[in-house]
Amino acid sequence: MAIEQKYVDLINADIDGEITAAEQADLQAFLADSVDGRELHAELMTLNGALDALEEQDPPPYLRHVIMSRIPTQQVKRQTDGFLYSMFMSPVLRYAGSFAAGALLMMSVIGSDRISDTAFDDVSGLVGTMTDPAALGPADDKIDITQNTVAGTISLRSAGSMLVLDFDLMASEKIDIIADYTDKTIWFNGFAQLESSGTSLSAETGRVSLSMEGKRRYAVFLHNEGGRETTVNLRFKVDGEVVHEASLNFTPSR
Amino acid sequence: MDKPDDTKLIERCIKGDRQAFESLLLQYEKPVYNAAYRMLHSPEDARDVTQNVFLKVYQNFGSFDPSRRFFSWIYRITLNESINWIDKANRLTSLDHETADQGRGPGQQASADELSKGLEAALMTIKADYRAVIVLKHLMGCSYGEIGDILEIPEKKVKSRLFTARQLLKDELTRTGMH
Repeated sequence: MAIEQKYVDLINADIDGEITAAEQADLQAFLADSVDGRELHAELMTLNGALDALEEQDPPPYLRHVIMSRIPTQQVKRQTDGFLYSMFMSPVLRYAGSFAAGALLMMSVIGSDRISDTAFDDVSGLVGTMTDPAALGPADDKIDITQNTVAGTISLRSAGSMLVLDFDLMASEKIDIIADYTDKTIWFNGFAQLESSGTSLSAETGRVSLSMEGKRRYAVFLHNEGGRETTVNLRFKVDGEVVHEASLNFTPSR
Repeated sequence: MDKPDDTKLIERCIKGDRQAFESLLLQYEKPVYNAAYRMLHSPEDARDVTQNVFLKVYQNFGSFDPSRRFFSWIYRITLNESINWIDKANRLTSLDHETADQGRGPGQQASADELSKGLEAALMTIKADYRAVIVLKHLMGCSYGEIGDILEIPEKKVKSRLFTARQLLKDELTRTGMH
């Protein structure tokens, strides 16, 4: 037997908890006399219970980081949103505090006259001065990574003969990143990171290799004599398996 | 449903405060992702839609009316983004009926897990407009009034859409022997 629409509506309102006392009394009187009404009420209760019990899903752990990396920095006069900008502009005090504490920031950028193109296995002891970031322009190239194991942004910026790879990444497990540059005359010129530990690095001719896990922000400095056009090919490996590949290009046209 | 400090956070966001935005993101990431997931039934699509939602929120803070509720605004963006995503990808043509179509003899009772999977599959068989009210009511816990506010439709229409959606779900579950 078809149920009058009014009572179908009242049954729905009842199970939604959106029914007045008068409507409730009306509905109860109806249900007392209607088998079909009671059946519909029970069916909808079961359905609603099942809908309410659907399990919540957890967003991927890297999602928040990816979203924040895509949010443009405000109060930026130039289009620079890289690590160096954030280090030297308004948030400088935050990092300056880290310098003072001597615990949060390891800075190991050395002058180009102090290095050769021989491999570095350990750069943690290197010291030097940071090139003035005001000389750096906007990112020459930028990639967003949204893999399950690693996500974030890597940008490539340049100033004269300096190239800066700015890594802002989150990795859910230990990941190796191999950066190969096509121009073998380019050489590694320094490394800086915003954590005291967590990223290890080695460099050899035409290649810088990094290893990281968790949320990390760091920069790799390369010397590109004459500011020549080049490509940096990146491979991301987990347990020796390549999980992602990308490349960044520098074209000296601007 | 707005948290008391949402208004202050939003004011700071409008001024370009990234930290305030991250706080909002922390608060709304999971509900937005879940709403998108229930609309799209795909973790990858839900992830992409969630990204788009927060980018749109950030880009459009200037047009947000502070006298209105933030959650209404962000959920509306979420549902619109999800529906646009469905339209764009024509997701409705590739529905996964696998679970829903598992044959079940009369009188056989579905387990809670089977019912849950059957329900998820059944949700994808109803029109996105109907799915949206189910998501808002049962996942986001919105009242009729709040759903009307989010979808910008009268409360009467919320009720009729919700009741029809339930009936369609019930029919689909009955058809597949899950109910």
